[in-house]
Amino acid sequence: MSLRDIFFSFRKPHPALEKNRELFNDFSQGGLLTDYHFVVFDTELTGLNKRKDEIISIGAVRIVNLQIELSQTFHCYVRPKNIDPNEATLVHRITPEQLRHAPSIEEVLPEFLDFCGDALLVGHFVSIDMYFLNKASRKALGGMVSNPSVDTMRLARGFKEGQCIDHFGGCDQSESFNLDDLSEEFNLPRFKPHDALEDALQTAYLFLFLAKKLKHGGIRTLKELYLAGRILGLMGRG
Amino acid sequence: MSADIHSVAPEVVVEFLSGIMPFDELDDEVLHEVARHVRVDFFPKGTRLFTAGVTDPTHLYLIQRGGVKSFLTDDEGEVTLKDYRGEGSYIGALPIIRGTKANLDIEMVEDTFCFLLPREVFLDLINRQPGFAQYYLKSFSEKIVNTAYTELRRHRMTRRGDEEMYLFTMQVGDIIKATPRKIASNASIQESARAMADYRIGSLLIYDPADDENIVGIITDRDLRNKVIAAGLDYKESVSRIMTIDVATVLSKSTCFDALLKMMSTGIHHLAVERKGRIIGIVTSHDIMLLQGTSPYSLFKEIGKQRRIQGLYPLSQKIPDIIRNLIKEGAKAGNIARMISLLNDQILERMLTLLEEELGPPPVDYCWLLLGSEGRREQTFKTDQDNAIIYVDPKDDAEAKVAHEYFSTFADKAIDHLVNCGYPLCPGEIMARNPKWCQPVSVWKDYFANWIGTPDPEELLHVTIFFDFRSGFGKSALADDLRKYLNELSSRQEIYLLHLARECMGVRAPLSFFKSFIVNKDGEHRNKLDIKTKGLTPFVNFARVLALKYGVRETNTLSRLHVLSEEGHISEELWASAHEAYEMQMQLRLLHQLAQIEEGTLPDNYIDPAQLSDLEKKMLKESFEVVERLHGVLKTLFAAG
Repeated sequence: MSLRDIFFSFRKPHPALEKNRELFNDFSQGGLLTDYHFVVFDTELTGLNKRKDEIISIGAVRIVNLQIELSQTFHCYVRPKNIDPNEATLVHRITPEQLRHAPSIEEVLPEFLDFCGDALLVGHFVSIDMYFLNKASRKALGGMVSNPSVDTMRLARGFKEGQCIDHFGGCDQSESFNLDDLSEEFNLPRFKPHDALEDALQTAYLFLFLAKKLKHGGIRTLKELYLAGRILGLMGRG
Repeated sequence: MSADIHSVAPEVVVEFLSGIMPFDELDDEVLHEVARHVRVDFFPKGTRLFTAGVTDPTHLYLIQRGGVKSFLTDDEGEVTLKDYRGEGSYIGALPIIRGTKANLDIEMVEDTFCFLLPREVFLDLINRQPGFAQYYLKSFSEKIVNTAYTELRRHRMTRRGDEEMYLFTMQVGDIIKATPRKIASNASIQESARAMADYRIGSLLIYDPADDENIVGIITDRDLRNKVIAAGLDYKESVSRIMTIDVATVLSKSTCFDALLKMMSTGIHHLAVERKGRIIGIVTSHDIMLLQGTSPYSLFKEIGKQRRIQGLYPLSQKIPDIIRNLIKEGAKAGNIARMISLLNDQILERMLTLLEEELGPPPVDYCWLLLGSEGRREQTFKTDQDNAIIYVDPKDDAEAKVAHEYFSTFADKAIDHLVNCGYPLCPGEIMARNPKWCQPVSVWKDYFANWIGTPDPEELLHVTIFFDFRSGFGKSALADDLRKYLNELSSRQEIYLLHLARECMGVRAPLSFFKSFIVNKDGEHRNKLDIKTKGLTPFVNFARVLALKYGVRETNTLSRLHVLSEEGHISEELWASAHEAYEMQMQLRLLHQLAQIEEGTLPDNYIDPAQLSDLEKKMLKESFEVVERLHGVLKTLFAAG
């Protein structure tokens, strides 16, 4: 609450952001998972430098009733400000041409927030995506987004710990938790990596898998999901 | 506008749908429109998706990843597995089309992702896309029959028609009519015959006058004809004088197919149907034939009626058709192999009987031996001839000469007839026409004593097929005697068993098959798995070694394993796993060969792993793991040697 008030007093936020805040005025963790909407998203960045790098694409897909709504997706490229589009495309399957013609983050963000609505945001190692999303939102809209977030990487960690404790009483910490390796390990249908939408879809499959496999399918409420992922203290507000 | 939001058809769905029938027939526009309505859901392994008679399916489920099993649970809680469905298969089409509750129980056997297509969208396709409805109707024919069948079972009534697959799904208890007709054993023959006439039935059960639940015998029309009229017996005599005392029974929950096999192998055509120790009726071959249009049984009878050997040629050509039907009707591989043996044996028996009539009676008793897969009753589609003749030791040189001449001619003719019937020659000349394999008892005993006493690893592989011999025709006592001799011999000769066990373990199970593809590396069958040598042979070899070690008389691999388990030489659990694994591989091979025959190519044993579903791969992998366990047993047993 207090954080939000500070930002609120800082500058008059963009109407899209105000609407976004209202949606979470009386947010509760107590509801059934099937009653929440989730938006699983992924961002592609120019790099991982927190100061100078920025978002160049956002992909997202909606989950309703714990089912992936494949027809409700969001995918767009963002024209970077600080970096020559020609340099930013090494890992991504994005052409400089696509970036030059892409809209600016100021145009994209309100649309993305509108797409998200009152959904919780889900991402793999979501804190990075949230950092850059909030950084952009602060700059462009005058504040941070209010949607709480869920990290599939933490859920995966919780799941794997639960699994090995069941079987061996200990846990191998050296395992990989990157999206690709987890998808392989859990035998999920595969998508092409390094495309924001495909990665979001891949993460959505992972999320569905974990939400239903954690605690042997015993997770019913959002609160239980947070507990199972042991991420209570990290419930995202930025 | 820039952002590419909302209702574009997701490519992943379009791609998936365009790869499965009948969606692949839709034009692009329709396909994209359909894809827009699809959602993804995930069901952990063990999830019960449908409960028959309860679940109202709201979606068509298309399996993207994973697998499910469908099964039925009857009123008594007994579960019948229907099938497994893997990636690309659908769930729920039939109840949606018919507007009913789920007809089967569905449970996830793996972690499963499904695409969900709303019921209304699916029905719309059914109504608007002509090919669509046709596809589902066609693939339903079997399922509809099964549904009809369960409804039928629930209402305890019989129905007839063209439902060929009733043979496998219908239980004997379901086709018996009314209550069993019976009469006390102190009734007269005439009273019994009158009861049969009144009831218009061909057989009558006989009970103990002190306890009418205690069935002590049975009489049939044939008994009245043969034992009474023809023999001039007084009609006033007690019926107990002509009844057959050992009433052959079949359990009410056996399938009609099992009953049919029993009738064909015993020659008894009236089986008493037993439930919980009580006889609840009679089932006859006629009852079963009524269920079955072009049945294996009618072919079997037709073969038995042939008066000319040439008449057998076209009949034996019908066997593959019968097998094809059996596979399509969903018979288990073990049952199919048994049926093939019965039909082949019937051809052989009729042919050699007629041949004896043509050449005159043999100078000494003999037995026609079947070897290898025929000996084990494990043939699939036409397999090479592997046979031999053993005859009683002639008492002097003169008789030896006569016997030799007779059996040479006999074997020559028989082999030619068999070729005409479609059984190809054995390339290794292991056939009765080879003088080496047409010998009196003493020579055969020497052969085995030699093979066992001084085992030559090189030779061992070639002679194993002899160890699986069984009687095909003639005096089976000769084969039994030879088997007894062999068992006594081999249980004393550890060194020989040791060699055999080593040979067994020489074949490595292709466990890493799915990762690195232990498949044939070169030649025509590159990248294919030889399911016979890599998959089935290890089971056959294992069963043979242990059967020889413990003196098991059976030759069939599954029978051998079963006896070994019953006698406590292998664990019940290992028997169950081995049974399942072996049967699964045989099934895979049969389906593969059937597909080849339908394509017009010669059947072989080379399976392309790329063509297997994930579920089949998984099952195959598990069955290879069983081979490792069998080898473990051998290692323990023969470690000391």
